[in-house]
Amino acid sequence: MATTDAGHTSDVHVHEGHDSHDHDHPSYLAHHFDTPEQQFDSGKLGMWLFLVTEILFFSGMFCAYAIFRAWRPEVFEGCSQFLNTKLGAINTGVLLFSSFTMAWAVRCAQLEEHKKLASLLATTLCCAMVFLGVKAIEYSHKWHLGLLPAGLFTYDPANPHPEGGPNYLAYICAPFAVATIGVVIWLVVAFIRDAKFQVAVAKPLVFVCLSFFGGVGLGMILESGETPEHHGSDHVAAVHGDAEHGEHSGAEHGDAEHGDAEHGDAEHGDAEHSDTEDSEAEHGEGQQGDATDPEAADVAEVESTDPQPVVLQDPGSMMRDESDDLVVLERLASDATNTGLQDELSARRAQSQLSEGAITYDRTDDSSATIASTDDNVLRPSRAGVFFSIYYCMTGVHAIHILAGVGVLIWLLVRAIRQDFNRNYFGPVDYVGLYWHLVDLIWIYLFPLMYLIR
Amino acid sequence: MSAGSVPSGYEVSDPGFPTKEENYLTNSKGILSWMFTLDHKRIGMMYLVGVSVAFLVAGLLALGIRLHLLAPDGWLFNQSIFQWLAPEKAPNDIYNQVFTLHGAIMVFLFIIPSVPAALGNFLVPVMLGAKDVAFPRLNLSSFYLWVAGAVFFVMALLASGLDTGWTFYTPYSTTTDSSVILATTGAFILGFSSIFTGLNFIVTINTMRPPGMTWFRMPLFLWATYATSIIQVLATPVLGITLLLLIAERTMHIGIFDPEYNGDPVTFQHFFWFYSHPAVYIMILPAFGIISELISVHSHKRIFGYRFIAYSSIAIALLGFLVWGHHMFTAGMSQMTTIIFSALTFTVSVPSAIKVFNWLATMWKGSISLTTPMMYAISFIFLFTIGGLTGLHLGTLATDQHLHDTYFVVAHFHYVMVGGTLVAFLGGVFHWWPKMVGVMYSELGGRISAVLVFLGFNLTFLPQFVLGSRGMPRRYATYDPEFQSLHAMSTYGALLLGVGLFFALGVLIHSLLRGKRAPANPWGGATLEWNCTSPPPFYNFDRAPVVGDPYEFGDIVWDSVQERYVKIEPKREVVPETPAEQPAHAGGKDE
Amino acid sequence: MAPATMSLLGDYTNDFAFFPESASTFSADIDWVFYFISIVCLLFFIPIIVALFGFAWKYKKDKGLPAESQKDHNTTIELVWSIGPSFLLVVMFFFGARGYLSQRSIPEGAYEIGVKSMKWSWAMDYGNGVIHPELHVVVGEPTKLTMTSDDVIHSLYIPAFRVKKDVVPGRYNYMWFKATRPSEKVAKEELDRVTQRYKETGDAWDYDREQFTPDGYRFYDLYCTEYCGTSHSEMQTVVVVHETREELEAWIKKYSARPEGEEPAVYGQKLYERRGCKSCHSLDGSRMVGPSYQGSFGTMRQLADGESVRFDENYVRESILYPKAKVAAGYQPVMPSYKGQLSDDDVYSLVEFIKSLGDPSVVAAAEGDSEEGADETSAADGEGSAPAEEPATQDDAA
Repeated sequence: MATTDAGHTSDVHVHEGHDSHDHDHPSYLAHHFDTPEQQFDSGKLGMWLFLVTEILFFSGMFCAYAIFRAWRPEVFEGCSQFLNTKLGAINTGVLLFSSFTMAWAVRCAQLEEHKKLASLLATTLCCAMVFLGVKAIEYSHKWHLGLLPAGLFTYDPANPHPEGGPNYLAYICAPFAVATIGVVIWLVVAFIRDAKFQVAVAKPLVFVCLSFFGGVGLGMILESGETPEHHGSDHVAAVHGDAEHGEHSGAEHGDAEHGDAEHGDAEHGDAEHSDTEDSEAEHGEGQQGDATDPEAADVAEVESTDPQPVVLQDPGSMMRDESDDLVVLERLASDATNTGLQDELSARRAQSQLSEGAITYDRTDDSSATIASTDDNVLRPSRAGVFFSIYYCMTGVHAIHILAGVGVLIWLLVRAIRQDFNRNYFGPVDYVGLYWHLVDLIWIYLFPLMYLIR
Repeated sequence: MSAGSVPSGYEVSDPGFPTKEENYLTNSKGILSWMFTLDHKRIGMMYLVGVSVAFLVAGLLALGIRLHLLAPDGWLFNQSIFQWLAPEKAPNDIYNQVFTLHGAIMVFLFIIPSVPAALGNFLVPVMLGAKDVAFPRLNLSSFYLWVAGAVFFVMALLASGLDTGWTFYTPYSTTTDSSVILATTGAFILGFSSIFTGLNFIVTINTMRPPGMTWFRMPLFLWATYATSIIQVLATPVLGITLLLLIAERTMHIGIFDPEYNGDPVTFQHFFWFYSHPAVYIMILPAFGIISELISVHSHKRIFGYRFIAYSSIAIALLGFLVWGHHMFTAGMSQMTTIIFSALTFTVSVPSAIKVFNWLATMWKGSISLTTPMMYAISFIFLFTIGGLTGLHLGTLATDQHLHDTYFVVAHFHYVMVGGTLVAFLGGVFHWWPKMVGVMYSELGGRISAVLVFLGFNLTFLPQFVLGSRGMPRRYATYDPEFQSLHAMSTYGALLLGVGLFFALGVLIHSLLRGKRAPANPWGGATLEWNCTSPPPFYNFDRAPVVGDPYEFGDIVWDSVQERYVKIEPKREVVPETPAEQPAHAGGKDE
Repeated sequence: MAPATMSLLGDYTNDFAFFPESASTFSADIDWVFYFISIVCLLFFIPIIVALFGFAWKYKKDKGLPAESQKDHNTTIELVWSIGPSFLLVVMFFFGARGYLSQRSIPEGAYEIGVKSMKWSWAMDYGNGVIHPELHVVVGEPTKLTMTSDDVIHSLYIPAFRVKKDVVPGRYNYMWFKATRPSEKVAKEELDRVTQRYKETGDAWDYDREQFTPDGYRFYDLYCTEYCGTSHSEMQTVVVVHETREELEAWIKKYSARPEGEEPAVYGQKLYERRGCKSCHSLDGSRMVGPSYQGSFGTMRQLADGESVRFDENYVRESILYPKAKVAAGYQPVMPSYKGQLSDDDVYSLVEFIKSLGDPSVVAAAEGDSEEGADETSAADGEGSAPAEEPATQDDAA
């Protein structure tokens, strides 16, 4: 990272006439610093500031996560089922272990244990590559299913495993394969030419590159070995979750309707949604489907003919036409206790009577006019995409940070093998260590937020 | 003591002129020695040239805007030459692109790097008494990031322009077919340039202070730079992620900001202003620092209320993070949020007011020289006071409902950004010009430029307050005929302002060709940069500087024979190593 | 002499007045707060400037002369000028928040008007399918606007009422006001004269030039204040304040549908002007945001996806209801859908209007070709958008 500039040596002096300034400077001390301590402190402070900017950089996305989760908890709960907790957990473990080896490496640099330092750095690198390998499996699997950001989201619950499509995993693996081959060739050439230093650098790098494929293999075993039950259970869980959620929010809605009418009004955007989910749950349980609801009928048909792939309901309900909502509303409102819905329905009728598509919309509380309470049709196309947008943004930016970390760690590895560090000069190892811990820490937050909280 | 005399028992200490080998400008030759330099002074000078070019471009665009608004149906871009230049574009489109690029270039390429990166890079280590900034390579890379960002903006301009306004509001920016991605990538890169500069200054000021330079013996310019750097480091990453999400929104439709995919455009505004409001203080805080120096040095009087000014800079930096919502008073935030943001907005005005009062108190009973920098400083106080006070109309919720997004806002922030930052920047350039390049400019020419800029500026923007309160919305390419007379006044003012700015440029260029050699201390300043030669040597200080009180003018006297200020010290035989006045003043100042 | 000077001054003050006319209950309040803040500011500004220039003049000294004083702090006075002005700030905040809250507290039973904004026109929805770009309200009656946008963010601003609110896609924003000054009506003779002139020239109504609406009302300006693209500065309309509710309802009735006996093509032209078509489509062949109507009916049209289609009734209808289905080559798919906003008779009128602009020979040929489509169009009436969907499904199938 650029902040490790503090470590640069003074071989770049433009002006020779001022060498007198550096008469007692050791080679690792930059010309403008007075003492190694000053240099170390500057580097450390710089690194901490850089980490602050990193945290703020990620905080934007954490904010987006919080905002959208607060607006559409059901989408997040439903979509989180698509993430494989086991893969996430393994990656968490791998990163935690790499943080440990990194911290140990800093200690070794201080104690001038050069061999140990190099091997610990190599271990950290291997862990990073395993992490990326597992990530490659996760990403390629989701791309295959069409679980993509909002605008590209193509997941079809009726056909969750589309045939064909590009082999995403091969695309991801290709650059790593090229790198591996390159490193192996380098090792062989260096070995033949008897370049000891190059051999010493290339040897650990071969392991590092191979560990990416180790990660891919690990991911494949977990993903493919358990896919049938795993997905089955996941999808069933999703349906249960939805049904539960539907009931839950139904109960909430009941509360609202017993409360004052205004409250019910303000909430009706949510309520409406949970109602559609109610109806979904009913369909799922095999009750009489509504004939006017072609898509729901479709879903029911798929279920009856092919019970094996249990269909996840949530994404289906996200793409339904608005006219369905009104039908569902009407049916639900026929229950005399459902006064809130009746209000809603009469409001809608009044509206459509006023003029078709007229936009007068009756709501008294101005301050609640947020995106969450707007007319449903603006929320219509592929709601689930928002979850995956945030998922890809956060994990993607995190993966870029891992890649950057890999680059810096390789640089450190080379310098460690060159035995550049000593008890007075171990700053770069320390700074990269801090950076690595931060990257690890961010994952520690990402894992529960994305995979676990449901 | 009378002018030109040196009291007995004292001797003159003057570093004289640098030799060719010492002078940082001439000690190594060739374009490569500049391109790969790690010397903060040369990087500062490269920044100065860079931001000046950016300012020239954006300033010409501003003249284009004003000339177009000469007539209610538009004038300049209706001319047939523009149909020939850009046959695909309607005059309105050209106008929209011009004001967008004017704003974006001014903000991202000029104002934000102007004082911190150009003047700051040159001055921070010298004022501090350090040899260089903490991370010289990072410093150079930050300059090249600035260049890369500028290249992206030029590419955006050449590709299909940019018509989103510098604020990139969604969903307009996600749906327009202009080169939003190129421009946002440019702004993203410039953000990192700004972060690196800020990070460098914080570390430099924290760890590179020489012995004797305590926090409260730092010149106020350093305090202001420190506060600015804090904002740069804390706010800019949020802009980075916002722009990244915007790019993702355009390429992948991630549905966070775009309502077509369930996103919320107002969330973008929150994200954007969380950076961009503090960025306003990135622009104005260093200007406060410059003015504190200018007023004190050219009044030859200790700055009044040093600690109040220093703390108020930090207070502004921190409070600036809490007020971004006042850009969205009409966007439909909840009532409570709106009222809280309004209340917080008022609190920011207090530390700004403190500074104005302190500067006036510094001038009181001073020994004022009406030099060019001082004239710029006086016009700064005049213009900034207007800019600050009209901010109250906008922070007040009821009146903001009427004034938001009208020319009143345009006039308000131009009074702060141009009347404040630009005038302070010019004042700073004129003040430190002898130090930076080692020549004196024509004093008369400099004063004329200051007066022209002052008059032209007021003529341009005072009418815009009235336009705004009468209901003229901003970013309009055409307008109702009843606004024409005020618009015409504003346009003539802009032309006068342009003349003034070109005049200032001419004065500086003339000085490079014909200027007298500058003495080490032409103004009588007491901060450390006046202790080294003009221009400073490569390593800034030949011997470790004696850190004294930055605002103690008692031992600086005018040498009328050689037309320079010199520092007088007790004769060396009396106290050979440690000058007597240093501990005395240190004790007086440090309380 | 004196009266001449006064009148000159009168002109002058009129031209350079601080505020537009005051026509709502908010405007007096807001003007008062504005003047209050301005006076407080002047009370600070004048002493500051007097001190600034005064000190610069009084303490200007030759080089080398020391300052009279080196006093560098006085904690008492610094605390006074730090804390003192804060009390005035609290007062300003209080008045500001009070005025703001009254703008946000929408009274019960306000007269409701829907507002939809799109690039670059306004559609005020008076219920019963009456959508008109002018905003008409009643004096002394609270009016609530429920606003949303079709494309990008706009902002509705009525300077005379001192109200402004962003119109954001994907959410509803609200605004209310009570107008206090009814719009004057111009004399009937003048209205007739001007109307006659427009009839002769066939130009679109120029509000700025005439300073009254085609119905003969003086008006207040309504601007878009959030930058929204090419024609942002032309995204203006007018506000007319009626004396009574009956007058307003009469006006609404006038625009509720095609008047008996009016030719569809004539009514279509009115819709063209009223419903925002004219901000993107010219009638004289000049290129605007969308293609011109002139001479296009009956021709073959090149589409953006490389195919071509005959410009007939079906195509016009589909393009109005589903604009993004078949986009003309060389244009951006920016047109908002008018589905649900135009009755079938409206669409029919527009089709007839556009047809009337085509080359007569080509039109006749096209009519022969697509008789079926024309029948369908004219047969469709009143309720439901079922027939409207048909072209779309055909398109989907293709």
